Amino acid sequence: MPGGTAFVKVTVSRVLALVALVVLIGMMPWLSGRGAEYTILRARYSDREPTPEALAAVRAELGLEQGPLPLFLSWIRGVFAGDLGTSWISNTPVAPGIVSALSVSVTLMAFALAAAAIIALLLCTPAVMDGLRQRRRPASGALSAALTSLPEFLLAAMLLVAGAIWLRWFPPFGWKGPEYAVLPALSLGIPAGGLIGLLASDAIRAGFAEQWVATWRMSGAGPVRLTAAVLRRALPAVLPQIGLVLIGLTGGAVAVEKVYAIPGLGRALLGAASAQDIPTLQAGMLALMGLALLVGTLTTAARYLLIGPAVRFGTLPLAEPPRPGNRRQLALPAAAGVTLLLIVGAGLLREPFTSDHARLAAPGWSLPFGADASGRDLLARVGHGAVGTLGTALVVVLACLVVGIAVGLFPLAATGPLEVANAAPPILAGLVVAALSGPSAHGAAVAVAAVSWAPLAAHTAALAQEARAQPYVQILPVLGVGRARIMFRYVLPAVAWPLLRHAMLRLPGVALALAALGFLGLGPQQPTPEWGLILAEGIGYVERAPWAVLAPASALVLASVVAVGLAGAGHGARVTAVNSAGAVPLPGTDPVPAQERVQAPAGAR
Amino acid sequence: MSDGGAFSNSDGGGSVSNSGGSNSGGSVTGALAADRVSFAYPAPRFRGGVHGTRHDGTLHNGTLHNVSLHLAPSSSTALVGSSGSGKSTLVRILLALAKPSAGTVALGAREVRPGLARSLRWYRQAVQYIPQNPAGSLDPRMTVSQLLGEPLRQLRVAGNHRALVGEALERVEVPAGLMERRPGELSGGQNQRVAIARALAVQPAYLLADEPVSGLDLPLRDTVLSLLSSLVREEGLGLLLVTHDLGTAARMCGTTSVMAHGRIVEHGPTHRVLDSPGSPEAAALVQASAALHFPPAVPAGAAP
Amino acid sequence: MPAPALSVTDLALSSGGRQLVHPLTFSLAAGERVALLGASGSGKSLTAAALAGSLPEGISAGGTITFGAGSGAGSGKDRAALIRQDPATALNPLVPIGRQLAIPLRSAGYSRPDAKAEAARLLARAGIGEPALFLPRYTGQLSGGQLQRVCIALALACGTPVLVADEPTTALDAVTQNTVLETLRMWSTGGRSLLFITHDLAAAASLCTRALVMEAGRIVEQAPMADLLRNPLHPYTVRLVQAASGSADSSAEGAAARSATATAVAA
Repeated sequence: MPGGTAFVKVTVSRVLALVALVVLIGMMPWLSGRGAEYTILRARYSDREPTPEALAAVRAELGLEQGPLPLFLSWIRGVFAGDLGTSWISNTPVAPGIVSALSVSVTLMAFALAAAAIIALLLCTPAVMDGLRQRRRPASGALSAALTSLPEFLLAAMLLVAGAIWLRWFPPFGWKGPEYAVLPALSLGIPAGGLIGLLASDAIRAGFAEQWVATWRMSGAGPVRLTAAVLRRALPAVLPQIGLVLIGLTGGAVAVEKVYAIPGLGRALLGAASAQDIPTLQAGMLALMGLALLVGTLTTAARYLLIGPAVRFGTLPLAEPPRPGNRRQLALPAAAGVTLLLIVGAGLLREPFTSDHARLAAPGWSLPFGADASGRDLLARVGHGAVGTLGTALVVVLACLVVGIAVGLFPLAATGPLEVANAAPPILAGLVVAALSGPSAHGAAVAVAAVSWAPLAAHTAALAQEARAQPYVQILPVLGVGRARIMFRYVLPAVAWPLLRHAMLRLPGVALALAALGFLGLGPQQPTPEWGLILAEGIGYVERAPWAVLAPASALVLASVVAVGLAGAGHGARVTAVNSAGAVPLPGTDPVPAQERVQAPAGAR
Repeated sequence: MSDGGAFSNSDGGGSVSNSGGSNSGGSVTGALAADRVSFAYPAPRFRGGVHGTRHDGTLHNGTLHNVSLHLAPSSSTALVGSSGSGKSTLVRILLALAKPSAGTVALGAREVRPGLARSLRWYRQAVQYIPQNPAGSLDPRMTVSQLLGEPLRQLRVAGNHRALVGEALERVEVPAGLMERRPGELSGGQNQRVAIARALAVQPAYLLADEPVSGLDLPLRDTVLSLLSSLVREEGLGLLLVTHDLGTAARMCGTTSVMAHGRIVEHGPTHRVLDSPGSPEAAALVQASAALHFPPAVPAGAAP
Repeated sequence: MPAPALSVTDLALSSGGRQLVHPLTFSLAAGERVALLGASGSGKSLTAAALAGSLPEGISAGGTITFGAGSGAGSGKDRAALIRQDPATALNPLVPIGRQLAIPLRSAGYSRPDAKAEAARLLARAGIGEPALFLPRYTGQLSGGQLQRVCIALALACGTPVLVADEPTTALDAVTQNTVLETLRMWSTGGRSLLFITHDLAAAASLCTRALVMEAGRIVEQAPMADLLRNPLHPYTVRLVQAASGSADSSAEGAAARSATATAVAA
């Protein structure tokens, strides 16, 4: 039964997920509820009182009275006719603004892609050289992990300070020439290139470790030929993930365009979300969805092109190389974690809300991190912010765990929603939620949770598949054990513990996503001490009081280092689990000490 | 396929009366039969796992063409064939785990189809299964008594379950003192016995064993086979033994069916299949197991 | 006595100060089929890797391995061809096997059509019927036994005089094992030598003329196969022979086995 029905299920699930997404976008005006007419009344007719009559008139004008379905239908009809609607705020057509903003964003992304490609190439070169010289090292991910660890909004802020304000090499704001693109492109390209390089060099090492490479060497294949063959073998495995990284750039672009005041799609959407200009947001989301579909299609096509006809015959999966999981690699994350705990502990003892100090007071003994623009103690704000951010993150992670397990146990039907959630950047989800319900801490949490369950669901699916493949589960139907009991008595207990561990490892990452929303003003509002918000407040004073940026930024950097360290540890654990379930381990690449490893070939009967 | 005569030389006819009384599955008697069963995986398959190739080069992953197999009560039949010949698919269909694209499986007069666990209880109690490397089919987190109790509970077997568990362990010579141990705390041989005891505990009329020893090393292989053959003889069980090894077939079963390319190409008394194979596939099997079994003839040109 | 096709002198393998294989000395004559017998962990697979020049990292080797010059076509190769237990990973799954067979042939100077014809010829020699049909196939389309034979054909294409086969039949069923053993027998025609590494005495006895027995990193016995079977000396060998004959006695098919073997030998 496997082949045919599985394919149908997956395809149906994907189509349904896309349709659901379009429907969601189309219904946003209705979903935004009663807030919409106030927004418009305030924006367009500031002289009118918000009387029931006036509000009803606005509702009638927008067609909000006709109910969700007619509203959606009239919107989608307009989209097909090339009419993206009229802005609620400016009462002008949306399309021209979106098109020009999109062209700016696409240009920026092209620059970012170039930067990412250079970085990824630099990171992959050692993997190829090692492979050709027959050196088998575990992937050395320290550099790429460091590059990957910084979220775009933080990197953008840091590069702005360093490149535009201290060094004065590049203009800080605007979009007037190529020199304006350098810093934003680096902000987007460094993390993306680091991640792509990390994924690709791992795959290349795994490719070079395969047996056929030895066979080809014996056959006299030269280095160029060998490298080309290994790349062709290795890249298809990581292309889907590279596609996700590229789609993720759209989320990062929102933050980067805000920091550098670039008139791109991201900034337009951010503005639309804060002003509740739903039609603009709708059009922008549609454009981004098209962009994501394009990227997804292109990477899938590239993947099929690389694999070639062999795709029909079920090629062997590429074994993953061991990630560095030893103590040395965990030392840095551990140190960062301890430092973070010290800062938070010290900050919690202090008062974050009262303005007891001079505005932007410099750091000193009594005020270790200085004061912000309202004269509040920055150490206290960072410390209290950790509790808020991490506490929310914990709730989000637990919600994701529940959703992930529920979805992951039915992996085929969930493919579509899973892919959409996996591809959707949290920032875009945050834009939608903020536009619908106004920016708030709850909204940010819901937005992050809406897109963060996907990895847990995927992991559940993998673990459940592994558990179901165990001989002692396979035999259960013969013993009269029904499906429900197999699921709850045998499969669920087997997957629960590793998933809980995985969920906890995602905590810092989720906290960073929440901070990114806070930074963009889509999360908690003043005077809540929230890391992203504190950073956003400080960035306006960066020239006069760098510490206003330095305090929250260093907390975020520490959290990033912890996040990447934990993610690496989780990744390693997952690979080991898969290997123990019977994936073919390659001699010499298995993560065992050398002494045990040399027994491995002899031990293979 | 009327091979009534072929089953006459199977052992155990007299011993049925010995233990027949203990067969609570006695309500279901009669032959276990697959009648003109066909099976095909939908093409193209997305996963790998190619097992064999037909002589014309096309792939056949356990497809079946019009296969009939008739197992009389208390008889032992071997199902022999090289990998990819369709043996395992046939077993899955006989176990009601896979649905044939054509044909039927029946126990006595009652037809069997894959379905809900509840609707198959009667069948599961009558037909039990011993997988490849039986010990691997024990959940490492459960104790021996939990492992043996699970099918008794799930199949709603009548009687005192604890007593039935004790009885089953006794039959495979596992001390009752090990009831609360987990598989990790038992020896390899004990685990193999526990797995067999689990199949016996529900007092089935038939045992289907799919290459039960192919994953084991020599001494353990011998233990499991001896245990199986004595149980079958003493309890009057019907046995279908799937193997790719004619030696095992000869040792265990009076009748042998040879499968190749998803068809049964030969069926008859084991010694006749061995001595004068009537199909090229059976001949190849005989030759292969001869060449790979001891004592081998020293190849030509080996003389110093 | 001509120069041996392969001579190994004091080959020692160690890892981090731990001696895994103690100094070994043995040789293969041209055209000889030799079995290297031993339990798992006895060091036989490491020895095979050393001969093929594909030792895992972290293992240091001492001693000398010399390949003879007078061993048929394609001399001058400085290492043995190696085939392993799992042939599915030995070839690139994305490239048709014809193109992979062409790599050594093209670098040996064959033109493209010539390489194709030669590849088909080599496949036929390795016991694959209708080789022209097989050239455009991918590894995912072939069975384990066919892949093993393709690997042997590739070794033929490389012109290596010595083939090291590391448990090449362990993962295969009986009928397929037999065909692969046939192909290995073909290998040693034309002066090529074979080192057949296995723990399966029956398979070794049906293929090889001489045996080396390894235990715990040392060669504990070497003898012509017939002598070894008749009169094993070392305790491990005795156990090996006993275990093999014991299982045959209990499987009550001696008569059939013997008669069938007689025909196999006559063939």
